[in-house]
Amino acid sequence: MNAKLELRNLSKSFPRGKADPIHVVGDFSLHIKNLEFLAVLGPSGCGKSTLLRLIDGLLPADHGHILMDGRDITNVTGGEGRGMVFQSFDLFPWRSTLKNVEFGLEAQGVARAEREDIARHYINLVGLSGFEASYPHELSGGMQQRVGFARALAIKPEVLLMDEPFGALDVQTRDILQNELLDIWEKEQKTVLFVTHSIEEAIYLADRIAVISPRPAKVDHMIEVPFERPRHEAIKSDPKFLEMRQEIWQILKSGVQV
Amino acid sequence: MTRSHILFLNVSGIAVSLVLWEIAGRIVGPSLLAAPSVVIGTFLDLLFQGDMLRELFGSLRQMLVGFGLACIIGMPLGALMGRIRLVDALFHPWVSMVVVTSVAALAPLFILIFGTGFEFRVAIVFVASFGYIVLTAFHGARGIDPKIVDVARSFAVGPFESYRQVILPALFPYLITGARLGLIHAIRAMVMAEMFVLVGYGGLIFQSGQELSTAPLISYLVSLMAVSILANSVLGWTGRRLAPWYDSKMSR
Repeated sequence: MNAKLELRNLSKSFPRGKADPIHVVGDFSLHIKNLEFLAVLGPSGCGKSTLLRLIDGLLPADHGHILMDGRDITNVTGGEGRGMVFQSFDLFPWRSTLKNVEFGLEAQGVARAEREDIARHYINLVGLSGFEASYPHELSGGMQQRVGFARALAIKPEVLLMDEPFGALDVQTRDILQNELLDIWEKEQKTVLFVTHSIEEAIYLADRIAVISPRPAKVDHMIEVPFERPRHEAIKSDPKFLEMRQEIWQILKSGVQV
Repeated sequence: MTRSHILFLNVSGIAVSLVLWEIAGRIVGPSLLAAPSVVIGTFLDLLFQGDMLRELFGSLRQMLVGFGLACIIGMPLGALMGRIRLVDALFHPWVSMVVVTSVAALAPLFILIFGTGFEFRVAIVFVASFGYIVLTAFHGARGIDPKIVDVARSFAVGPFESYRQVILPALFPYLITGARLGLIHAIRAMVMAEMFVLVGYGGLIFQSGQELSTAPLISYLVSLMAVSILANSVLGWTGRRLAPWYDSKMSR
């Protein structure tokens, strides 16, 4: 099996003073295939964001390994073929669109002219041509997240890590950006690890869905999504789609304590 | 309220106080409170005669030395205190003590240590503005969104570059706000220190009070206020020009 990204027995606990530590991710293993779109689906607070931060090296793992093409990148912070898109966009407010997209390239030491060419290419790809000089506070939420996409894509990551990238957007914007993400994914040929709590979003976007049971986060079910690509909004009302949504909801419900 | 409404209310508030002041001034006479109609004449005389502004700018130049030192030392110190616990633990007690202590109470001690000249005035101004500059930078540095620091880490940016590319720009509006607070306190301390040793602009104010001539005294106060407000606005304007993205976060 050619795993692009492999997670082997990852675990992470957070200390809580004198109380027992919270075991957020426990013995988590997952294979992500090359060029696949994998959704990690779970209720809020189930540890899926922590999982993504572990994979990106923003948090050190207590145990386990992260392998990219078989190369051990456990606890290496950032880079190494990973590009992250954040839930609350987290653009640098003092940088224009162009400069925000150039950020990762600057860190890699890419020369100015080349940096700018690459950044303009991705700004164009996410449909923001004409807004190169705008600052984040001048852009809508949806536009800010497009900049977030472009910033992550500009460093040409092998694996795109997306932490509920549409979580902070309204439903209409979300639907539009979902379609654009699928477009970009087809064009750019990326492996995507997409964290979400929306069942519908997971089915619509992903090839496979890893349903997570909470505390500690573990893969409860692995579900193949049968819909053909390219996908269109119409499948969202397909009986098969609705049936699948119901099925996954039953799985999630059993693990959720409100 | 639109801008013109606000401006109208600003102006009418001032106009009402001027009228009340005029009435009070005519009742008590110019040795206690000179009326605005008298002050305006004296003010123009003093302005064109030149001594007033020369003394004021002379004092402000010395003040800028103390204030500049406070910025150069206070801004990096505050930023480091906000990011590194060890530095905070070392310096925070001192900064807190400096902020709560009345500068006037320190003046006699400083006169003993520094004499009554340039060093004394610089030291007083430094102490008066230092704490505000440090604490504003400190709170700014502490309040930097950890998520934005994570973005830099996610792009494999090292700690030094991250400081330059993320911490400093995020801190900028706080540095400007700290400088503005510090400047106001520096000017106040300057006048106070000069009144102790009867030199410069503060000395001028003190003497005209002693001579029971309230028209020049009020003229000196008006010039001081005008210059302070101007300096504060210039700093604010500079900050907004250099950092248009943080306009909403900056105090006016």
